Amino acid sequence: MIQPIEIRKSILQACSASGEGHIPSCFSVVEILAELYGNTLKYRKDDPKWEDRDYFILSKGHASLALYAVLAEVGFISAAELLDFAKYESRLGGHPDRNKVPGIEASTGSLGHGFPFAAGIALGLKIKHKSNLVYVLIGDGEANEGTIWETAMVSAHRRLDNLIGILDDNQSTGRCLPLTDVAKKWDAFGWKVHEIDGHNNMEIRTVFQSIVRDKPAGPVMIVAHTIKGKGSGLLENNSFAWHHKSPSAAELDIIMRELV
Amino acid sequence: MRNQFASTLEDIGALDEKLVVLLGDISVYLLRNFENKFPDRFYNVGICEQTIISMAAGLSSLGFHPVVHTITPFTIERCYEQIKIDLCYQKLGASIISVGSAFDYPASGCSHHCYEDFAVLRPLPGMEIVFPASEIEFDAIFKQTYNNGHTTYFRLPVAKHGIKFNEDQLRLGKGIKIKEGKALTVVVTGPELKNVVAASEMLDIEIIYIHTIKPLDIELVRQSVIKTGKVLTVEEHNVIGGLGDEVARAVGDIGNVIQSRLGIEDKFLTKYGSYQEHCMALGLDTKGIKRKIEGLL
Repeated sequence: MIQPIEIRKSILQACSASGEGHIPSCFSVVEILAELYGNTLKYRKDDPKWEDRDYFILSKGHASLALYAVLAEVGFISAAELLDFAKYESRLGGHPDRNKVPGIEASTGSLGHGFPFAAGIALGLKIKHKSNLVYVLIGDGEANEGTIWETAMVSAHRRLDNLIGILDDNQSTGRCLPLTDVAKKWDAFGWKVHEIDGHNNMEIRTVFQSIVRDKPAGPVMIVAHTIKGKGSGLLENNSFAWHHKSPSAAELDIIMRELV
Repeated sequence: MRNQFASTLEDIGALDEKLVVLLGDISVYLLRNFENKFPDRFYNVGICEQTIISMAAGLSSLGFHPVVHTITPFTIERCYEQIKIDLCYQKLGASIISVGSAFDYPASGCSHHCYEDFAVLRPLPGMEIVFPASEIEFDAIFKQTYNNGHTTYFRLPVAKHGIKFNEDQLRLGKGIKIKEGKALTVVVTGPELKNVVAASEMLDIEIIYIHTIKPLDIELVRQSVIKTGKVLTVEEHNVIGGLGDEVARAVGDIGNVIQSRLGIEDKFLTKYGSYQEHCMALGLDTKGIKRKIEGLL
C-alpha cells in the first residue's frame, strides 16, 4: 500500500532541496499514481523492460516528481536519489527521461506528446497480439493541445481497447481555455468514460479493476476530478502562484504540518 | 520515385515484420499492395501529422521500424517538435519519407512548398537527411537505414537526375565524384545534378554528388576543395541552412577558399506554373548554373 501522505512529503522535500518542481501539479495526481503502482500496473521493479509489463506514460511530464516519488516507493529508484532531483548530474529532471530513469516509458514535458506516444505503444501491442495495457495520464491544461483530440479520434477509430487514459482534471486551465463538459467530450469522441474523485483511493482502484474486468471494446478515459495542490490549504488556495515554486523553510513547515 | 518507394517498402515488409507504415492520407492507392500483403502493418492514420510522428515514436519504443509518409511541409515543419523530442531526443528510430519538397508542387503555392527542411532538421542530433534523386538511391539507402535506430528523413523529388549508379556506390553518408576537374568544385544534391553535368561540359569542373546531406561526406568535399580552392553548392533549398551551410562547415578551416551558393535566396516563391519555370527563374537550370559557374572561373 502506497501512502499518499508519504509521497507528498517526499515531493515537498525534493522540491525544497532543489528549488525546482511543480508541487500543486504533483499533489493532484498522487492518489492516482499510488493506485496505479500500488494496486493496478503489472511491473517488475528489477526488470523495468519486462515484456509483459503494463505501460504507464506521464504525458503531463511536469508532475515528474510525483512519479519519481512513487517509483522510489516501489523500488525502481532509491529514496535517497529523490534528493538529487534536478541537480546537474541527476537522472531525475523536471520532466521524465526514458533513457535515464528506470520505469519511465516516454520522455515527456512538451504537452500533447505523451498521449499519442502511448497510442503508438497501444497500437504496437495490438500488432504483436500482446495483452499488456497502456495507461496514460494527461492534464486538463494539456487537453488544450490539438494532438490530444487527434489521438482521441485515432484511438477510438482503431479501437485501441488496451489504452486507458486518465484525465487529471484539476482545473489548471480554468483561467484561459477551460475544458468544459469534459466527460461529454470524450464520450463524443468515442471513448468509454468514467468519472471519479481523483483523490479517493477506493474509487480509483474500483474503476481500474472494472476496466480490467469488463474489457471495454475501445479506449477508456477516466475523468479524475482533482484539486491542484491537494492536501495543503496553502497550495490549494493559491495554486497558480505555486505552480512552479519551491517553498521557503517556513512555508515547508506549514505545508508539512497541513499534510495529515 | 514514388513507385520505387512502394516497391522497396513491399520488399522490406516481406523480410521484416517490424516494418510498420503510417500515412497521413496520401499514397494510399500507391501502397495498396503493401496494404493487401501486410494489413496489420499499414495504417492510413489520418490528417494528423503530429500525432502520427508521436505514434511512430511509441511504436519504435516497442522495437518496430515505423515509416511515416506524407507531404514535406506537413511532416517536417508542422511536426518539428515531435521529430525533435519524440524521435531524436529519445533516440527512437523511424523513417520519414516525404514528397512535395522544395517547389515540387509549384501550382499549389507556398503552403505546399518546403525549401527549409534541411535547415530545420540538420541541427537535430542523430538525424540523417537523404535526398535521393534516382530510384536505386532510395532503394539502397533505405535498406541501409530503416532499422539503424536513427531518424532518417528521405526527401523524394518528382524530377530525377538520370545518372546511373550501381548499388555498390551508394552508401549513407558517402558522396559520389561524378567528374574530375581542377578549376572549381561543384557540390550538388538532388535532380539538379542533371543540370550541373550539362552546364559543366568542356569545363575543368569537379562535380561531387551528395545524396546524404547529413552526415555529409566531409572528406570527399574537403579533398576536392583543397585541390580547386573554389566551391559552388547547388540545391533546391534555401541558401540559408542547406547543403551550402553544411559544405561551409566542412571547408571553413581550409583557408583561401572561395565559396558560393546557388539555391533559393532568402525569399518565398510566390509564383505558380511548373517545376521547370521555377528552376529557370531561380537560375537552377543548365543556363543559370553555367552562368554561375563561369562567374566563378
